[in-house]
Amino acid sequence: METSFALTGKGYVIIAADTTAARSIVKMKVDEDKIKELGTHLLMAYSGEPGDTVQFAEYVERNIRLYQIRNLYPLRPPAAASWIRRSLAQSLRSRNPYSVNLLLGGYDQAENKPNLYWIDYLGSVVEVPFAAHGYGSYFALSLLDRYHDPEAPLEEGLATLKRCLDEVAKRLVVSPSKYMVKVVDKDGVREVEI
Amino acid sequence: MSRSYDRALTVFSPDGHLFQVEYALEAVRKGTCAVGVRGKSVAVLGVEKKSVLQLQDPRTVRKVVMLDDHVCLAFAGLTADGRVLIDKARVECQSHRLTVEDPVTIEYITRHIAGIQQKYTQSGGVRPFGISTLIIGFDPHDTRPRLYQTEPSGIYSAWKASTSCIANAIGRSSKTVREFLEKNYKEDMTREESIKLTVKSLLEVVQTGAKNIEISVMESYGKVTNLELSEIEAIVAEIEREKEADAERKRSRLAATAAGQAAMATRADAGQSSGQ
Amino acid sequence: MARRYDSRTTIFSPEGRLYQIEYAMEAISHAGTVLGVLAKDGVVLAAEKRVTGKLLDLSGAKVRGGYGGSGEKMFLLNSNVIGGVAGITSDANSLVNYARTVAQQHLLQYNDDIPVEVLAQRLCDLKQGYTQYGGLRPFGVSILYAGYDPHYQFQLYHSDPSGNYSGWKATCIGANNGTAQSLLKQEYKDDISVEQAISLVLRVMSKTMDSPTLGSEKLEFAVLTYDETAKQPKAKIYRPSEIDALLVAEGLAKKDDDAEMKS
Repeated sequence: METSFALTGKGYVIIAADTTAARSIVKMKVDEDKIKELGTHLLMAYSGEPGDTVQFAEYVERNIRLYQIRNLYPLRPPAAASWIRRSLAQSLRSRNPYSVNLLLGGYDQAENKPNLYWIDYLGSVVEVPFAAHGYGSYFALSLLDRYHDPEAPLEEGLATLKRCLDEVAKRLVVSPSKYMVKVVDKDGVREVEI
Repeated sequence: MSRSYDRALTVFSPDGHLFQVEYALEAVRKGTCAVGVRGKSVAVLGVEKKSVLQLQDPRTVRKVVMLDDHVCLAFAGLTADGRVLIDKARVECQSHRLTVEDPVTIEYITRHIAGIQQKYTQSGGVRPFGISTLIIGFDPHDTRPRLYQTEPSGIYSAWKASTSCIANAIGRSSKTVREFLEKNYKEDMTREESIKLTVKSLLEVVQTGAKNIEISVMESYGKVTNLELSEIEAIVAEIEREKEADAERKRSRLAATAAGQAAMATRADAGQSSGQ
Repeated sequence: MARRYDSRTTIFSPEGRLYQIEYAMEAISHAGTVLGVLAKDGVVLAAEKRVTGKLLDLSGAKVRGGYGGSGEKMFLLNSNVIGGVAGITSDANSLVNYARTVAQQHLLQYNDDIPVEVLAQRLCDLKQGYTQYGGLRPFGVSILYAGYDPHYQFQLYHSDPSGNYSGWKATCIGANNGTAQSLLKQEYKDDISVEQAISLVLRVMSKTMDSPTLGSEKLEFAVLTYDETAKQPKAKIYRPSEIDALLVAEGLAKKDDDAEMKS
């Protein structure tokens, strides 16, 4: 089942999401990228109702891009989180709301620090040191409570993430087979192998 | 009286003119000069930059803007009108990506901008946009540079090299630059040649040299560079050297012919005198 | 014949001019002067009030929010932007209201103070609209925006009735702006501090204003700085008493009549 994790460390945010596209109990494909690069220093993992997710993610992507083209500087992560939350909250009160859960990770170039936001389909937003969505969260959060270190270098952060993925693989009945992992830091976004 | 605002301001005159559109074009002519040149694999935009006042912040004076990663636009005319039209175009660029997942083609966005401009020549109670635009860019998955122009009337057209508007204040018309471009344009110019032609044609109306010229170069999809002042200065200097050398050659040629004529005249004189 | 192009809505004249805009600018050149100077650690605004009178009630003045009932030219547009307006005051009030709404909408959407240039741009889009859509006359107002945002730090912008705007280190709108402009050109230095900017502004104001002496009844004054402890910009619109105190400190206060009588 759909699962996504994210954690911050010293000057970076790691975001991981499973790559399964499923319908009911059938896997349609196993190489779906569910982490959108919204800007040079902004990542968003999305999960939830298929269709809604892609539609909403693209809507967000285009609006954030428009902001950058209009103003010549990108939207900073806290402002992006607020805007996305508002869009979701507005959608929730419309005739057909988006059912999408998000993890937004970014590197704020003005303050030189990483930001991570947990956002759900009800329009909640929380700034957190680590976060998870989906069934995986039941297994990962306690691990992250134990092992997360906001000052850890990237290798350590990736090792902590690995623990979470392993635990989910071990205990969850319907654990995903593959994950995609992306990192954002002062140099921008990139994909990493785990 | 209030009823008169419900109808279009731009209406046909008895002899078939749309005066407001023609007058809007006058507003464009009052603006600063913009030039676009298409090379073999490069598109160049050059604009005449009004001198920034001593206490003004040069960052806020923008004549060349990006509409999307691969579309660059220069305008001439009323700045405020330009800003509003540019914003509409920027929204369309992103909206197009959202709807069909592809970036706009240069022709598409040109047509869109021209369409907006047309609407303002026909709708109720509005005046036309007092700007012309030059649009350069590369279509997605294509290596051919594009150059388009739009006008207040909503006409748009593709060009090899184009100019919109010229400062009337110094008594020259846009014809000067257009004729210059027509005379000097070559097919398949390199990057350097294209830039040089742009600067050269701008120098036809910009007397103050490099500091009042701004050049943007697009070399491939999404690759845009704005030339530094020092680079433009170097090009201007080179053009001036060439001009001087040209003039020198002309002078020496003139001198040579003059000398030849003089020689012939003396010989004729001599012949005459010997004949006497 | 010219009347055909200047009596109705804003439309182009045969030379491609928009007379209504030019006339609106003319209106502003008769209005009270507003002057702004950008310093490295702040922005200073000063304005000449035209509505004066001994019985005018200025007691509504608040520490941050302006003058209460009788403020004429200085307005807090957002916690990071002060606006100084010159022109038709009623038009200005409507624009100030719009600016405040825009700023709050931005805050609501992004949970972040509106960048100064974005605010100036939004007002200019409105002003531009009034020069293009039928039946409306342009706004007869120029505005100076003194603001701070993390993108470009301290900024000073000027917008006019056509919907143009530009950034400045020091500028002036309203009556006598030519004189003030050339004075600023002579006296402005890059990297001046707020203190220096304050005294520069007051000196220039005292030279350009019609009356020979400065006093709080004819002057409005505001300063935007950055509060290092609160980590946010600090906008201060001076109260009349504070302006008088400032003028005394700068040695520009008008002479006390009583004291003169005694001597």
